[in-house]
Formats: sequence, structure tokens, C-alpha cells
Amino acid sequence: MRGARISRWLIAVPMALLALATIYPLVFTANAAMKTRRDYILDRFAFADTLRWDNIATAWTSAGTARYFFNSVTVVAGAVALLLLLGSMSGFALSHLRFRGSRALLLGCLAALFVPFQVIMVPLVRTMADTGLVDTYPGLILAYVAQYLPFTIYLMTSYYSAIPAEIVDAARIDGNTTYGVYRRIMLPMGRPALLSVGVLNALFCWNDVLIALLMMPSAEHRTLMVGVTSLRGQYSADIPTFASGVLIAAVPVLAVYLFFQRRIADAVTAGSTKG
Amino acid sequence: MPLGDFTPLLARPARAGRADGTGAAPPRRRRTGRLSAERLSPFVLIAPAVLVIVLFRLWPLLLGVNFSFTGDGDRNGAAVGLDNYAELFADPLFLGALRNVGWLVLLLPVAVAIPGMLATFIYLHVPGHRFYRSVYFFPAVLSPVIVGSIFNLLLSFDGPVNSLLGLAGLGPVDWLGDSNVAMFTVVGVHVWATFGMSLVVFLSGFATLDPALLDAARSDGATLPQVIRHVIIPGLSRTIQFVFVTTMIGMLTSMFGLIYVMTSGGPGGSTYLPEYYIWIQQGQMNRPAFASAASTVLFLVMLVVGLAQVSFLRRTGKED
Repeated sequence: MRGARISRWLIAVPMALLALATIYPLVFTANAAMKTRRDYILDRFAFADTLRWDNIATAWTSAGTARYFFNSVTVVAGAVALLLLLGSMSGFALSHLRFRGSRALLLGCLAALFVPFQVIMVPLVRTMADTGLVDTYPGLILAYVAQYLPFTIYLMTSYYSAIPAEIVDAARIDGNTTYGVYRRIMLPMGRPALLSVGVLNALFCWNDVLIALLMMPSAEHRTLMVGVTSLRGQYSADIPTFASGVLIAAVPVLAVYLFFQRRIADAVTAGSTKG
Repeated sequence: MPLGDFTPLLARPARAGRADGTGAAPPRRRRTGRLSAERLSPFVLIAPAVLVIVLFRLWPLLLGVNFSFTGDGDRNGAAVGLDNYAELFADPLFLGALRNVGWLVLLLPVAVAIPGMLATFIYLHVPGHRFYRSVYFFPAVLSPVIVGSIFNLLLSFDGPVNSLLGLAGLGPVDWLGDSNVAMFTVVGVHVWATFGMSLVVFLSGFATLDPALLDAARSDGATLPQVIRHVIIPGLSRTIQFVFVTTMIGMLTSMFGLIYVMTSGGPGGSTYLPEYYIWIQQGQMNRPAFASAASTVLFLVMLVVGLAQVSFLRRTGKED
């Protein structure tokens, strides 16, 4: 057993180093954001002596960051709300209602899951432009919904499939219509799945850059991630302000991660064990 | 097919073959207006989703393939046959992008093995395994834009990584400016950012593994490599297959953000991937039909690579 213990530690040390390599880049960035330009140039690695928020304030007010932040929040909120509504409605129908073609629909949905955005982006943007949706909030929201809906439906269907048919039947005997069952049974019972899927979708939409680049060409409609891509050019000589901009974009994600870590991991793995 | 609503006893046996739409026809006793609304309800519930998926996902796929056989600019809309494809395969940038895809396929086993090994150690309860689990997963939630920006900072020629290497008497390495190095740098950063995702998937696969098998192997005196080879790999073949396919899809479709932020395809076009090429043709060159041809090629590449992987992994799985 002694030998086994030693080899465990031989593994643990590289793992600890890897953990450090995982965390340190963000720590470095946060630290750089707290320094003055002069301090950063003199010694990049030393920890900032005080928490200095001037750079954060500069990054927030200049370079349109506040505006982009607002755009991102609006679009993410709209997309997630719509995704959860449509996802739970279809998940309920596909798992508990029998109707002609439901199996084909489920398969079509899975097929859509494997159509990457890069493959459809050119015609999609053209369709969006033809319908006047490019450079509008609803346009970007719709693009996100189209992108993440197959995945959302898939997860909601598999979650709802685990709810026994007896519960639905009992609700019907109590006089509920299908819509009543959806509202009074499926929505409340689906809450854990809706939360997981909602958090994951919020991350996807918040983190996206390609769809946002294509759908929101004008500067005033930029999302935060698109805004971050232009920071480097703007602050190439002012690393602390650049780092502050990056930090502003990362902090909401970090907060969500700390709160919902398990749920995110559950939603990510739900597809792998069921499929 | 009407719902089996209000007739739960009749409907229940048919529900076992859920949603195949071929169950026995339930009696049509009720004839009120409410019932016809009921009958339509599944379609009402699913219609918005179907509309969105068909309109903005499946239809564009067809449209794009169709579009790739037409011209741009002066020849806008005119049928040009295979011209776009011919031009595509004559463009060194696109060929370079395909070559990089080849590199990704070669690097794929590494990108799968790293999280696989780490998950094995965590599963075998290395000291601090809970901590590692959440730390390793954390970069997976960051946007490629944020990851790319951070590594831009760290990997710049006079940046912190090179100054650390300098302390060890190595380097400096021009991580993003050397065309022989840049692609590997970007892939490395991508793996840094995503291995936690595969790790979590592996761990959920381990949860389905029978611990008795491991105990038996151990009490027979099997070493760790033997356990991995004869117990873990066969037991997790489905998970491994899943991780292979998703990692490949991830490499082909979610590196845009990194490339856009870190190299813009450079230096000298050495870090182009098909998705970036498509974006350049569409967004910068304003050549949508040509970009559609590149999209179609990417789709075919993914299809071929995906199917080849699945059949290859099936075959190796059977040999065990």
C-alpha cells in the first residue's frame, strides 16, 4: 500500500501544477487590472499593493463597454427566456403526447444538433437581412434561439421522459387540458432542468462572438464579447485597462460558475450518458 | 392521430412505444370544440420550435448548398456550376486551412487522452480530487474571446511566459508570430480552455462503471496501466467515443473566437481553419456564394471525419 501512496503523490503533484496553470492566467489578468501602468511595466508578476479600481472605471466608461454590457444582457435574457419557453413546450409534447410525426420531429431535432453554425451562417445571415432582422435585438435573439434550441429540446425531452405518465394522466382526470398540464405540472416539475439548461444557454449566448459579429454590424449594437475583441487594438499600450475590460466580461461568467457549477456540469453530461 | 387524452387506461399500453404515432385509434366520443383544441395541442406546443429550427437551421443548409453553385459580384445569382469549388481548391489559404484540419485530427488523441487520464486519477481519488474537478472545469465556461485575450497578454513576445522561460534559460519563443508555432499555440490554448468539459463527461462515464470490476482487478494485483487498458477503456468505450466526436466537432467549430482574437489567421495565413476562412469570405470579402462552397466542404469534412471516427472506434472496441 505504501508504494501505491507514493505513486498517488507522484500523480498529485503534476495535477496541482496543472490546476495552477488553469487558475493563474485569470489571476494574472485580475492582478494586472489592479495595477497602474507604471507598476505593470516595472514588474508584471508582483501582486498589486492595493485594490485600485481606476482601470476598471476607465474600461467601463470609455470604449463603449457599458453600452456593450447592456446589449449583451438584453440579448441573453431574451434568448434564454425564449429558449426555455419553446424548449419546455416541445420537450413536453415530444415526451408525453402522442401525435403523428413526433418521432420524425425528434429525429429532425437531433439532426439539427449536428448542423454547425459555420455551415449555415452565410445563408442564415442572408435570410436575416432579407427579413430586416440584421442589426436588431430580435434578430440576434432569434439567431441564438435557432442555434441552441435543438440542444435545449433534446435535454428537456429526456428530462420530461423521466416523469411518469401516471402523473400526467392524473392531472387530466382532474380536468386539466394539455395546456393546463403544461402550465401546472410540466413547468413546475421541470424547474431543475430549466435552471440547468437556462444557465448553460446563458453562458453560450454570453460567450458567443461569431454569431454576434455577423448579426450586429453596427457599433452601437455590439455585444460585450465583440467589444472585447477590439480592446486590444485600443489599449495596446495600456495593459491594465485592457485587462480590466477582459475582467469585466469575465466576472459575470465567474459568478454564474461559482453559483451553478454542479448544474452546468450536469447539463453538459446529460447528453453523453443518455445518447 | 388524436391524443389518448381522457382515456388513460387505453393510452397507457400504447405509450410504451412512445410517440411513434401508430398506436391504436382511441375512441372518438367527445365532439366538443374544446376537444378539437385539445387535439391540436401537441402541434400548437411544438409549432414555434419547429418553425424556428426549419426556418433558421435546416432551410439555410439547403439554401447554402444551392447557393454554392452560383456566382458572386458581377455573376450574382447566375449558375456557375463547380467554379466556386474549383477556385476553393486552388486557393492556398483554403488548402492551408484543410491542412490545419489534418493537424487537428492528428492531435485529437492527445486532446482526448489528457482529460481521460485526469478523469482516471480523479476517479481513483487522488488527494484533492474534488478541488481538481471544479478547478479544471472552470476555463470551459470562459468565452474564447476572453481566453484568447488573456493568452494574447501572456504569450506576447515580451510577455510573462517568455520572461519565465528566460529565467530558465530558454526561449524566447514567438508563440503567435512564428508561422511554424502559431497553430500549435492556438490549439494548445483551445485544449487548455476545453479539457475540463471532456473531463466532466469522462467522470460521468466513470459513474456508470462497476466498482467491483476495479476491485477485482486490483486484488488480482493489476497495475494502474493494466487497469486502464483492460478495465477502464473497454468499460468506457461509449464515453470515449462520445468525447472523440465532440472534441473533434469542438475543434472544427469553436475555435473561431480564439483565431479571431489571437492571430486573425496569421502569420502568413498559417492559422486558418475552414470556419475562419468562411467568415473572411463572407464578412470581409463579401463573397457569400463562394463562402457557401467553403461551408459545404466543411460540412462534408465533418461528416467524413465523424463517421470515420465512429466506425474506427467501433472496430477497435470490438477487438478488445
